Amino acid sequence: MRNTRDFRDGADPVVRRAIDELQRLPAVADDAVANVVSAAAAARLLPPADEPVFPAPQRGWGRIALAGGLVAAAAFAGFIIRGTVTAPPGSPARVATTTAIAPVAYSTESAVVPIIEQFVFKAPTARRVAVIGDFNRWDPSVAPMARSSDGELWSRSIPIMPGRHTYAFMVDDSILVLDPRAPKTRDPDLGAEGSVRIVGRP
Amino acid sequence: MTAPSPSRPTLSSLPLPHPAQTAALDAKAISRAKLGDIGAFTEIVQAYYARCLRFARAMLVEPDDAEDMVQEAFVRLYRALPRYEERQRFESWLFQILGNCCRTANSVAQRNAARLVTDDDLLERIPAESRADDDAPNAWGDSVRHALAELPEHNREIFLLHYIEGFSYDEIERMTGVRQSALKMRVKRASDFLRARLSRGDKS
Repeated sequence: MRNTRDFRDGADPVVRRAIDELQRLPAVADDAVANVVSAAAAARLLPPADEPVFPAPQRGWGRIALAGGLVAAAAFAGFIIRGTVTAPPGSPARVATTTAIAPVAYSTESAVVPIIEQFVFKAPTARRVAVIGDFNRWDPSVAPMARSSDGELWSRSIPIMPGRHTYAFMVDDSILVLDPRAPKTRDPDLGAEGSVRIVGRP
Repeated sequence: MTAPSPSRPTLSSLPLPHPAQTAALDAKAISRAKLGDIGAFTEIVQAYYARCLRFARAMLVEPDDAEDMVQEAFVRLYRALPRYEERQRFESWLFQILGNCCRTANSVAQRNAARLVTDDDLLERIPAESRADDDAPNAWGDSVRHALAELPEHNREIFLLHYIEGFSYDEIERMTGVRQSALKMRVKRASDFLRARLSRGDKS
């Protein structure tokens, strides 16, 4: 495959000079390609932002099969669960905790594979909770969390590419809550502090 | 809308692109990427990222959004890869997607700016906003980019596809659905405008 063909011959000398200037390739940030690949891989595994995450009744089997496939993939890869539940300081109403599911063994060659990360949030009085972050374009509609049977906890597992990610929980579509168990960062995406999750090998 | 990446170094502090970022791709990488091989997709992104960034910066009303737009285009491409048919040239397909992303972003930006423009002549008379680029600190480069920004979008896109990205009129016709005679006219109008604008700048 050729790179770029040159059609400048037919152009006026001034225009040809302008073309030469415009053909200069820009500098590329070191992490640009990794960011794109990470976003693309996550987007392909997640449903599109304009599609409901939970199955509509008539389309249920497809989503159930997808969920089953993810569970089977996790079992096949030999995932283990690690994580703890700890009360956040000064917030008796909402206790957040996260549980990371990490593969036992890593491939040394293909480091760029998504890893299932589980987010858990305790908010018994909330009506809706979603996990938002740079991995889902901060869109609350992409990853709504499911309430547990006892009504206390909300949880959601998301395939995320290895790397450093910033996230938060969106409660009732209006309240942004950080994860007290995670380090915090001031992230330009959020315009405020966010929680940090390192996905992949520590 | 795609969120900006969490941390973005200033471009002036970055090294020049590695040759691999502009290298040609072999067709096997595309076939492997179609099957979901993330490594092959990474090769594709590495091969085309710099060119896509160049195109997006020149196309967008808000050039600072170029990185986000390139990411959006690659995300769309990766989602659609299983449906890609080899009879269409991959590069054409990628720039078709990127062009759609840029045009959509431009329409949103222009709507947000609430700038009412009813015809191309009026658009050409509106002075371009600052398109200062960290990559082009030279006066000639700034002049070229300012002049380019004043072109109507449909002329600018075809000019860029033909002269900067090297697509033939035949390929652009297949990408855009616009007939070659109209494409040539757009490129001619763009060239005439740039020549007039830049020659004037040279004299002053």
